[in-house]
Amino acid sequence: MTAPIVLRGVGLVLGGLRILQGIDLEIRQGEFACVVGPSGCGKTTLLRALAGLLPPTEGEVLIGGVPVRAPRRDVAVVFQDYSRALLPWRTAAGNVALALETMGMPARAQAARIQDLLARVGLAEHAEKFPGQMSGGMQQRLQIARCLAQEPNVLLMDEPFGALDAMTRQTLQDEVLGLVAERGVTVFFVTHDLEEAAYLGDKVIGLLPRPGRVAKHFTVDLPRPRDQLATRETPEFLRLRRSLFDFMRAAEA
Amino acid sequence: MSARRWAWRAGSVLVCIALVLAWQAVADARLVSPVFLPPPDKVWRALQRGMASGVLLQKLGGTVLRMIEGWAVASLLGVGLGTLVGASHTARAWLGPTLEFLRPLPASAIIPVAIALFGLSDAMVLGVIGFGALWPMLLATVHGFAAVEPRLYEVSRALGLSRAAVVWKVALPSALPDILAGARLGLTVALVLAGVCEMLAGRDGLGQWILLSARSFRAPDLYAGVVLFGVLGYASALLIGAVERRALRWRG
Amino acid sequence: MTRLLRAIAVPAALLLAGEIAMRAAGSSSDALAPPSDVAAALAALLADGEMLRASAETLASALGGLAIGGGVGLLAGLLFGAVPAAARLFAIVVEGIRPIPAVALIPLALILFGFGFRLEIAIVAFAAIWPMLVFTQAAVAAVDTQLLDVARVLRLPLAARLARIVVPFALPRIFVAFRLAFGVALIVAVTVEIAVNPLGLGYGMTMAQQTLRPADMLAYLVWIGVLGFLLNVLLLVVQRTVFGRFLPRGARP
Repeated sequence: MTAPIVLRGVGLVLGGLRILQGIDLEIRQGEFACVVGPSGCGKTTLLRALAGLLPPTEGEVLIGGVPVRAPRRDVAVVFQDYSRALLPWRTAAGNVALALETMGMPARAQAARIQDLLARVGLAEHAEKFPGQMSGGMQQRLQIARCLAQEPNVLLMDEPFGALDAMTRQTLQDEVLGLVAERGVTVFFVTHDLEEAAYLGDKVIGLLPRPGRVAKHFTVDLPRPRDQLATRETPEFLRLRRSLFDFMRAAEA
Repeated sequence: MSARRWAWRAGSVLVCIALVLAWQAVADARLVSPVFLPPPDKVWRALQRGMASGVLLQKLGGTVLRMIEGWAVASLLGVGLGTLVGASHTARAWLGPTLEFLRPLPASAIIPVAIALFGLSDAMVLGVIGFGALWPMLLATVHGFAAVEPRLYEVSRALGLSRAAVVWKVALPSALPDILAGARLGLTVALVLAGVCEMLAGRDGLGQWILLSARSFRAPDLYAGVVLFGVLGYASALLIGAVERRALRWRG
Repeated sequence: MTRLLRAIAVPAALLLAGEIAMRAAGSSSDALAPPSDVAAALAALLADGEMLRASAETLASALGGLAIGGGVGLLAGLLFGAVPAAARLFAIVVEGIRPIPAVALIPLALILFGFGFRLEIAIVAFAAIWPMLVFTQAAVAAVDTQLLDVARVLRLPLAARLARIVVPFALPRIFVAFRLAFGVALIVAVTVEIAVNPLGLGYGMTMAQQTLRPADMLAYLVWIGVLGFLLNVLLLVVQRTVFGRFLPRGARP
């Protein structure tokens, strides 16, 4: 399941504006890479380029050694606006089924798999609920379940917890860490929450805007498994947090 | 239903009864000529007579059949064409303004053209009703497609859905509320055009019934026919409402 | 500019195709006429005032019916919106009468008024009640919930409340209701003319059909469409200029 993410000299111009320039990145198999940066640094655009939703103007995007030209089955995307990314007329089970249907799984086999996936994200009893009847956290979990149905090698997450309250955010952070650990998935996680980036990642990539470029790499030297209380109190976490805040302060100056 | 709502319902029924009683009083006192305002009891009896003898039932059936036939054809064509146009950005860009221009056109204005083409025949009636009911369905379908959440298209791309799957699993269900609203409008138009065509072309139905009743000054029969028209309109709305509630129950 | 061209491209192409087809077929038809003939007929009818006279008749009936029916609908809507009890008490009466198609009343109006303006105005009036009633009621009822609370908190006297909150809020929406009711009035007027009434554009069209003048008949059809379109655009312009800033984006149909 080797799926390193490699970006070589990636540049992107949209509508006459240069959004990204000279992006060189390597993310190893199973690594959890967080991307931070001030508004307009192009982190979402970079994610969309990895997703195959936006072709780069220059350079190459390679996942698993294969250039990304269009969305791929082994790359799953979790969007921030979960309520808009789910089919409101299908139940939770139905939404997960969408991914399985597209993969060509026969209907009989789907039921068991759906139950399994929903249980994995803690939505087992809510299989027959519609997204409109679910809280924000539940909807985001459902989106994650649908993404896991693809059995991806790479998980791209675009500020997935930004619209959720603090408690739900922390719960989902740990759930994602758990899900990712058991499958060895490579994660590309965009966030504007610096503490979240430090808590979740193996490394944090800092981008600067105009044009969007890689400015700094931060290695996260914290032990796994992470703990919301213990990890956040370690001197290493505080040191990293300070570095990240300094980076952002300098960036926004 | 809560007690309060039940009370308001009862009050509303009382107001209704009061109005009918007032109508009865005015008609009995001959304040208005019975040729124009027959008393409600005579209307009721005319209704019963007509139904019992089967005459009104047959007229009602004629109108209903005409209406449903035309509406069914219009729905299939409207949703079908609407899907073809709606699913394609290019089609929408090239045809959208023309369709919008044709939206406020009175469907009844096609009647003389249809008569010129088909004469006073059943084909003419079907064509008129079908054409009239087509536009709300077509426009609603196109609009529904245009209003699909763009994020869902991205999700479809990310999941690798085929073009057909996107239309069938994402766009059409998303457009369903609009399509049902169009169906509601289409049924209303179908009813109106059925009535007009019956009056014009002498086809067996409620429209012809009330016109003949008017000509022979049989006011109770005329009113009975109008009541049945109202019942048809009400039943159509009820039907679509029930379908909407079932199909759109995810709206919560 | 390109947008305008693209908008008329398809209809222009169809008209051209129709023109060529009909000219090539050679034989004259009682039912259809080539677009050039229709255009010529339209010009002739406009030039000799016939079309304008018929338009005036149709508009007079439409506006007359709109004034009466719209007036009734407006008053009822104001009452029902401001006094929810009244709305609830009359609910069944309204629900019982509204589904009656206006055209079903044509024979009754025929024996009441005979052919002519009163017949048409009566039918249009009946049809125009409902859009005005429904939208006015909704507009007034909405003011009640949203902004009167603000007025109460600000302790505004009644006159100020009416002038500063109720009128600016409800009036634009009532204008939208008027615009929609006008569209209905026009359609119903033409329908009555085509069904029975010997005046106006509908009658002109019917006469042209019965005297086997297809070019004139289609000219009337085109003119009906153009007139309806232009009047709706005119009302939209008035709506935007006079009320533009009072209506939030979502409330403008």
